[in-house]
Amino acid sequence: MNVRRIAPWVAGTLAVLGTVGVGLRLYARHHAQMRLGDAVWRVTYTVRFHAANAGARVQVAVPSDTPQARLFRQDVRYAGLESERAHRTRWQTREIGLIAPRPGDYTLTARFDIHLSPRAQWRAPAPEAALGADARADCLRSTKMTQADDPIVRQTLDHLRRGLPPKGELLQRIFDFCSNELHPGDERSPADAVGAIQQRAAVAVGRARAMAALCRAAKLPARLVTGFVVQETEPFEPHTWVEVLNGARWESYDPVNGFARELPHHFVPARRDGAEIVHASDVTDLRATYGVIPLPPGPEAVRAGHRRPWVILDLTRLPLEMHDVLEVILLMPLGALVTVLFRTLVGMRTYGTFTPTLIALSFIYNDWRAGLLTFAIVLALGLTSRALLDRLKLLLVPRLSVVLTLVVLCIIFAISLLDYVRLTPSAQAVLLPMVILTMMVERFYLTAEEDSPAFATQLLAATILVAAFCYLVLRWTTVGHFVLAFPEVHLFTIAALILLGRYSGYRLSELWRFRDLVTPGKRGGA
Amino acid sequence: MTATRRFPWAWPGQLRRCGVLGMNWRNANVILPGNPRAHYPRVDDKLLTKRICELYGIPVPQTYAVIGFPGDIRQFQERVRQRRDFVIKPAKGAAGRGILVVLDHDETTFTTASGEKITLADIRYHLETILSGLYSLGGQPDRAIVEQRIVRHPAFENIAVGGTPDIRVILYRCVPVMAMVRLPTRASRGRANLHQGAVAAAIHLRTGRTFGGVCRDRAVSAHPDTGAPIADLEVPRWNDLLTAAMKLADGLELAYIGVDFVLDATLGPVVLEANARPGLAIQIANRCGLRPRLEFIAAQPAQSLTVQRRFELVGALADME
Repeated sequence: MNVRRIAPWVAGTLAVLGTVGVGLRLYARHHAQMRLGDAVWRVTYTVRFHAANAGARVQVAVPSDTPQARLFRQDVRYAGLESERAHRTRWQTREIGLIAPRPGDYTLTARFDIHLSPRAQWRAPAPEAALGADARADCLRSTKMTQADDPIVRQTLDHLRRGLPPKGELLQRIFDFCSNELHPGDERSPADAVGAIQQRAAVAVGRARAMAALCRAAKLPARLVTGFVVQETEPFEPHTWVEVLNGARWESYDPVNGFARELPHHFVPARRDGAEIVHASDVTDLRATYGVIPLPPGPEAVRAGHRRPWVILDLTRLPLEMHDVLEVILLMPLGALVTVLFRTLVGMRTYGTFTPTLIALSFIYNDWRAGLLTFAIVLALGLTSRALLDRLKLLLVPRLSVVLTLVVLCIIFAISLLDYVRLTPSAQAVLLPMVILTMMVERFYLTAEEDSPAFATQLLAATILVAAFCYLVLRWTTVGHFVLAFPEVHLFTIAALILLGRYSGYRLSELWRFRDLVTPGKRGGA
Repeated sequence: MTATRRFPWAWPGQLRRCGVLGMNWRNANVILPGNPRAHYPRVDDKLLTKRICELYGIPVPQTYAVIGFPGDIRQFQERVRQRRDFVIKPAKGAAGRGILVVLDHDETTFTTASGEKITLADIRYHLETILSGLYSLGGQPDRAIVEQRIVRHPAFENIAVGGTPDIRVILYRCVPVMAMVRLPTRASRGRANLHQGAVAAAIHLRTGRTFGGVCRDRAVSAHPDTGAPIADLEVPRWNDLLTAAMKLADGLELAYIGVDFVLDATLGPVVLEANARPGLAIQIANRCGLRPRLEFIAAQPAQSLTVQRRFELVGALADME
């Protein structure tokens, strides 16, 4: 019985290693210094609106990463609203989509912590593929505020063109014109391109629009970028500049501040489609206010600029949009731990060992109500079809494949149905693990046949219960952040699993199961 | 042992005092160290178990045919032509799944144990599902065994409902430590599996007489369908059965096993199968825990014991209660 003594030692060693790992990381954080010239800023959004109808939608653009700016933390709060998964639209814009489930007043607050470093090269400038026909047309289009085909714009362009053919020169002239000859106006000044050119004065956006319109009229693809100039200003508001495709490279021009070709490192873009940072549908009284404050250098920001091999161990340096997925993956072992607890300590039997964890994992990316509804529909239809299939006397693998096909169809039509009743924000909301569900239908059916429907239902209930606990664990973002920062805590997880693996005491269910053993003489004792 | 119980459940301390063997203890301290994985096929594959039984001269049902490939299904008809009754079962089946008992046939229509008439095509489908691994552990492709049908011994004639009773002996280090007879009920639909609702009576190791009883993890003393008492029945040829169980345990080289017997009217006890992870409800039937018995056997000198010595130990175990 040597193992009995070895296991606690192994577990203890792992726990010590885990503690050392966490300690080293904390030490490194405290003693690391920020590079000279770096700064950490917090940009905040406060968005208030009134949803006129259920299903009103608000889309909020998130500050993007640039070679010199790195978003390392975000915190978005939206009581009562339902979120769509963050997604990227064209032009590398990351948006948070929110839906109001019922009419009413809502508030959204968001905090984005950005690390600015003038000498860093965190990411190569966004590698944009060759401009597609659609995208190109977008960048040459004349719109209500950016009237590229207006005669006034054309006249101005002809005037600027006078006496010089080469392209570069023309772009420089357009920029000079917008920067020098269009003057900053007051609130009553026009905000559109034509107005700006006519009055020779405009609000900041109007000057950027004028430049975009002139470029488009000259058949130079141009887009309006809305973002932030991250510095202490009052009021802090989004700023709009222009990006022009010159050859194969997008060049940035800010006619308001007079920067051409390249912008300073504290210009952080959020949107590249000319829209405002927050835009909405079915919404009235939309008010968005923004703020910025400098932060003291935090541990997340300090080491990101260094490119040394051991940064591989630092998962927090990875782009923020990867964090969600990484955190869920890192929480999986805790899901397994829950499964082990239920199996070894409680003695609850489920369909398949990790089926509950996988079901819980799929629910993470879902709205859980829509997921649960789909789950029930798929299970019910799967079982009905399985019962009907039984009469055909099919061999195992073809039969399983038929059930899989039916499960797939169920899920697809569930997506369609949920979309029809506007219950779910996106298609991935109901992407359940199809193979797992197929096996579950088969096992449920066989158990009901061989043991009893009651026992099959009991196993199903246990599976759902364990899955619910796994779901709660996987949803635990605080722990997720922590494990992402200190992945070595999983050495403790392994230690716990080893100790549980050597646990030989009674299961909770056995206290019930063997209850008659402690009351002998009940009827006809030994 | 406490005479009264204030709560509807038992406390861990109470179970420990009664020497109850729990699932975790069984797995971690009995099965994992004692049953080497490499020897599992000997119990998981019934053909292998049968071969070992034949090697040790332990009676088993006669094998009529082994069907390993869909192509073999054709010869099935020839093989059973001169047999009136037979049983089809998967070689790696678990919990009595996939077993088809044929009482009589005229080569086209087959009468099953439940009286149902099925066709040759139904039998073919059943064989195919066995081969495709529907009933096998882990869904692996399997073989089908066609073998002699056991003619039920009259000993438990009046007490079993709709099926054949079987006798399970649990052996630790090749010494029988506990035994029970499992009787099918209406709920278990003719199968002798406790978790499907069969009832079991403990067997006194020395005398071979039944006592106690369990059904659905409750202590009972009567058959749930008929109300007939299940105690004080005598298992015929009990010592032959124990000897066969010990010999099989020697051959299997697994420290902790359950061996399942059925009583044939002419052959006496024949081995049906062996199990490397036998269940724990047998303790409720016996009204006592397994742990003191396992510890008693573990305390014996390690060298292999003679059958004579083992019978002495069995006697000592029987008196432990």
